[in-house]
Amino acid sequence: MLDVTILLDGLAYGMVLFIISVGLTVTMGLMRIVNLAHGAFAMIGGYFATMLLGAGLPFFAAALLAAVAVGIVGAAVELTIYRPLYRKGELAQALMTFGLTFVVIAALTTVFGTGIKPLPIPPALNGVIDIGFRTYPTYRLFLVAVGLVLALLLWLLIDRTSFGARLRAAVDNPRMARAVGIDVNLLFTVTFAGGCALAAFGSVIGAALLPLEPYYALRYLVLFLVIVGVGGIGNFKGSFVAAILLGIIDTGGKFLLPQASAYLFYGAVIILLLLCPHGLLPAKSAA
Amino acid sequence: MKTLRLLALCAAGLMWAMATVASAETVKVGVIATFSGPFARWGEQFQQAIKVYQKQHGESVNGNTIEVVYRDDGGPDPARAKQLAEELILREKVQFLGGFVFTPNALSVADIVTEAKMPTVIFNASTAIVVRKSPYFVRVSQTIPQVTVEIAKWAAKNDFKRIITAVTDYAPGYDAETYFVKTFKAGGGEILESIRIPLATTDFSPFYERVLQQKPDALFIFGPGGPPTVGMINTWASRLKPAGIKLLGTAETQEIDLPKVGPAALGVVTAFHYTETVDNPLNKTLWADLTTMFGKNTVPDLSSVAAYDGMELIYRAVAKFGPRPTGDQAIGFWRGMAFDSPRGPIKIDEKTRDIIQNVYLRKVEERDGKLVNINFETIPMVRDPWKDEHPG
Repeated sequence: MLDVTILLDGLAYGMVLFIISVGLTVTMGLMRIVNLAHGAFAMIGGYFATMLLGAGLPFFAAALLAAVAVGIVGAAVELTIYRPLYRKGELAQALMTFGLTFVVIAALTTVFGTGIKPLPIPPALNGVIDIGFRTYPTYRLFLVAVGLVLALLLWLLIDRTSFGARLRAAVDNPRMARAVGIDVNLLFTVTFAGGCALAAFGSVIGAALLPLEPYYALRYLVLFLVIVGVGGIGNFKGSFVAAILLGIIDTGGKFLLPQASAYLFYGAVIILLLLCPHGLLPAKSAA
Repeated sequence: MKTLRLLALCAAGLMWAMATVASAETVKVGVIATFSGPFARWGEQFQQAIKVYQKQHGESVNGNTIEVVYRDDGGPDPARAKQLAEELILREKVQFLGGFVFTPNALSVADIVTEAKMPTVIFNASTAIVVRKSPYFVRVSQTIPQVTVEIAKWAAKNDFKRIITAVTDYAPGYDAETYFVKTFKAGGGEILESIRIPLATTDFSPFYERVLQQKPDALFIFGPGGPPTVGMINTWASRLKPAGIKLLGTAETQEIDLPKVGPAALGVVTAFHYTETVDNPLNKTLWADLTTMFGKNTVPDLSSVAAYDGMELIYRAVAKFGPRPTGDQAIGFWRGMAFDSPRGPIKIDEKTRDIIQNVYLRKVEERDGKLVNINFETIPMVRDPWKDEHPG
């Protein structure tokens, strides 16, 4: 029965990683841009939500509003900063987006201070629920539920709508997509904004697992990039599988072999990447 | 003849005046600490406490202006700390050094400090060995064994039988683990397991599930401060508290962090050398001045009292020896010195140059809608057990 608890813990952790990094996989797959500022967008959402909560907004309203706001910021940044970068090399992209991360860190430190910023979860989620054989924190079940719902919505959006079809076409072959009249530039902006919004939402609801502080953007960037890399760049299903798999491996490792847990996660990543260098479910274009 | 005498008198007067001017000098104090990056709060707390000290005691001693020169080491960076110490000693010509948040930074300047005979006050760097590394070091913070031993003794005395320790996987964590396990076992308790948690951990639930399975009476934790510590306490509250497992610690419940932990921290028992609510006039004026000068949410913590007491040592040395004391004069003067600090009575040990102070057992409680630590027992004038066990 204990295994179920660990599985649930791993699932909840994996869901947070998935929600935050799914935007990154699409932007990296679609735009082929090395976006190291993804964590910064997530963090902006978290900090914005703490302000909204401070102003008396309920938790879910704050999470949604923060996601929308960061989506708008993301669109603006895409149009002004990212667009000129598409044709530059990867080095320029990495430097620019990494620099952007430092700017965001410095700005948030100035406004909010250096310490950790609490983002209290609502009382309704703060309790425990009886799940048959033991009690389990409601908040983690909520994370699992939200992650599953979002994954389902994304799957419907990408696999079942014409927007999704155009997006997939642009990921697989942007030149051909342009040739058949798809407005790839608009797709870029919308997708980028959506990815940023999801990252912000994930950072708000996952703040109890990945606490908010000015170095959030750098501290967890490696995690997000690992999810994208292991999942397969440009494939959101791959991110889903990778996030859950790594979430469970990490959690299970800490439970069973606490002394080795620091290495276990990265060990698993190395093995997975050796077996599938293009990720578990590579996008067609990356294969 | 008369004119000559007048001239001589004038000259003598002039020389006397010049001598007094010369003795009213500027004494530079170099403070090397972390003012940027994830640990910037340390430098900020040091600086604010120093400013409060200078407001309370004036910016000069017997006409000698005390000027504090700050340098940012950016975090645990021994090479940078060493370079800054060289710069402060050679170029800025400081009379005293202070600061040092991290042990490696303090260790890296030991040789220069010894060579320059520079009286140096360690504000934090709490690994036991630090003051041994230079005869010109004194320390006003604490050592990890000093506080850990007392919480372990308390647990053994208060019917805790079976305990699990969970410490962050780095050197200070091992110190805490070693001394807790040793002391608790000597008191007749049983340690079921000693878990070491990787420094980068954000989700503590799997470790705590492991603890829950073994059903100990209590869990002893040692965290690195900041986000991981908050996570450690929150996860305890949601997983272990309902099962009746108590939480013991040392620095984890400082009041500066308590608002971030929230009501989860209620009931945590810790041992520490400074409690913000300690009933002591110096502490009350320190807190009052901090809030009037830096905003109502300012809270003193271990770094504030350390910097405050460090300034006290420096002011006393300048009062005694004037603006240019030698290193041997200052250190000799400080050895065995006892005075009242905001944290309670403290003493610089005559032999080890380390601090001897009260250790308080505290419990987190709610007072006037705020979470605070409340002392329920005082262990007077505790020495660093490590040095007593390792004489040399």
